[in-house]
Amino acid sequence: MSEEHMHHPNYLKIWAMLVGLLVVSVAGAMVGIRVVTLITAFGVACVQAYLVAKNCMHIGAARRFVPYLVATALVLMLLFFSGAAPDVMKPAGVNWVKPAWQEAAVEHDVSLHEARH
Amino acid sequence: MAETLTAASSHGEHAHGEMSFWSKYVFSTDHKVVGLQYMFTGIFMGLIGGFMAYAFRMQLAFPGVEVPGYGLVSPVDYNALVTNHGTIMIFWVAMPVLVAAFGNYLIPLMVGADDMVFPRLNRLSYQVFLLSAIVLICSFFVEGGGFGGAWTAYPPLSAQSQYNLTPLGSSLWLVAVGLEFVAFLIGGINFITTAMNSRAPGMKAYDIPMIVWMIVVASIMFMASVGPLLAGAVMLFMDQNIGTAFFDPDRGGDPILWQHLFWFFGHPEVYVVLLPATGLVADIITVFSRKKLFAYRTVLYTVFATGVLSFTVWAHHQFVAGIDPRMAHVFTVTTLLISIPIAEMMFVYIATLYGGSITLTTPMLWALAFIAEFLIGGVTGVFLGASGADIYFHDTYFVLAHFHYTFFPIAIIGFYAGISFWFPKMFGKMMNETLGKIHFWGTVIPFNLIFIPLFVLGASGQHRRIYDFSHFPNLSAPWQQDLRILATSALLVMLAFQSVFLVNFVWSLWKGRKAGKNPWKSNTLEWTAESPPPHGNWSELPTVYRGPYEYGVPGRDSDYWPQNEPN
Repeated sequence: MSEEHMHHPNYLKIWAMLVGLLVVSVAGAMVGIRVVTLITAFGVACVQAYLVAKNCMHIGAARRFVPYLVATALVLMLLFFSGAAPDVMKPAGVNWVKPAWQEAAVEHDVSLHEARH
Repeated sequence: MAETLTAASSHGEHAHGEMSFWSKYVFSTDHKVVGLQYMFTGIFMGLIGGFMAYAFRMQLAFPGVEVPGYGLVSPVDYNALVTNHGTIMIFWVAMPVLVAAFGNYLIPLMVGADDMVFPRLNRLSYQVFLLSAIVLICSFFVEGGGFGGAWTAYPPLSAQSQYNLTPLGSSLWLVAVGLEFVAFLIGGINFITTAMNSRAPGMKAYDIPMIVWMIVVASIMFMASVGPLLAGAVMLFMDQNIGTAFFDPDRGGDPILWQHLFWFFGHPEVYVVLLPATGLVADIITVFSRKKLFAYRTVLYTVFATGVLSFTVWAHHQFVAGIDPRMAHVFTVTTLLISIPIAEMMFVYIATLYGGSITLTTPMLWALAFIAEFLIGGVTGVFLGASGADIYFHDTYFVLAHFHYTFFPIAIIGFYAGISFWFPKMFGKMMNETLGKIHFWGTVIPFNLIFIPLFVLGASGQHRRIYDFSHFPNLSAPWQQDLRILATSALLVMLAFQSVFLVNFVWSLWKGRKAGKNPWKSNTLEWTAESPPPHGNWSELPTVYRGPYEYGVPGRDSDYWPQNEPN
């Protein structure tokens, strides 16, 4: 079988890279700078996801279906977000409120007011 | 490749030699054994779920009276019973029996393969499923008892133990549900891959039997929808145990987010279990009306349409939760739209029956009952899909009766249709027809007597989540209590008649008439194998020459034309 003779990546090396990136993402958050935290958390996560998808998921063997799968996942994600966002991104709805959001909004307004005067 | 592919040459390491009891029945990789393991586990869990229904229905009909075989049902017990009845019947009965048991047993046999593409993964799927069932059963015996926050597990009720009063049970429930989903993800990969890659030579896409198509589409839907809920389950687990606030509005979380996550999976899930049931009904009605399936391709397209649309209807469960009214309009439209392909499918089945040479065997009776009862479930769903009407019906027994008119035909009637049809293939013996018909009528008549009164009670405003209606004067009029007693009595009759099935099952295994290869004179490939099929299914894999529904073809002596018979 030709698949048995396919070239495999060096899994140990990839694992070591993933561990290294994990250390970077944790260390980045400890610096305490918001932008650095965001970059290290999400940026590193993207690189990690790429490494796993590229090397550990045998995507090359099922190349034909991959674009469809990725497209379907993206469409479903957009669909879910567009259906859920009008509710979950608001501080209050028809029959409900989020007290913590409202308190935060009041505090924000007060600080804004104080800053102007 | 020019050489003939044989079972012995193709299925490698899992094909050889005499196997011990353990490797044959407990740690088997044979798709048939895995299928039967799923089926027997599903039946066992069904007995638990049925017993739970008995206990809480007795409390509703005769509040505060000791239930024989259970004892006094406390309010906390009641919550745990209804929660776990719903959970078990959907996740541990409908899913394993309809998708996993029939999928595992039938897909390789119907597509002409010797086994699943990934037999070891298949075994792992069942083992994870069994573990999930054990975790759920264990949750009944921990401190505080089984989870009592309803099978939909809405926070904040599910997230905080001071509300649900079942701190350990609620976490174990989440673990069990998570494991169950993992099991079906693994199983689904196998179903899709086997049906796509392991078909017999000559079997084109439109030659695949409908139940195989349905299980494949159901598996794809499951895989595409379960991710958000698995993520939600982890978030809820963290809310319960390590103090996060994903769903706690007091700390910035959002309980409605859970409802979105749950139903984005939960509504496609209805179709995940519906499709296999409609698939097996298609196969049964063609055999017993000796007619070609009317509009095969139309059925297939309705399945695809249902699959796509099922991802756009989830928020109709949140009309009363207070979703954005603009979105409520959108979801009303999509919900009403999805009734079109399903209705079309039912019409196609009726058209298949029209003019057929119908034989009312036990499997055919179940298949016909599926169509009739499911149609009632579908029609009553229209009231609930429209946001205006749903405001009034929400959380009443009308909803409960509606979904039992969908899930009971799917999970119970569908199972009985399938098992009575494929029992000869699975075990090599015929089931007793008289006992089968007694069981049929003893199930279907009481089923209607349970749930028609609940439609009436729901329309009169009876709320779903009440432990003792005598505390509510508006809901405890004598006629209302009489209807509750009628429904409970009918449930007792229906449960009693299930013993007829169990007796028939065991008696037929032991003393049943020998079945032969093809007792129903059916076309599909599983009926060309021995009954029961040996490990590897065939000594030489079959070749396919035509579609699965060539019954009553003019000009032929025989009224059926097996898929593997050369022209």
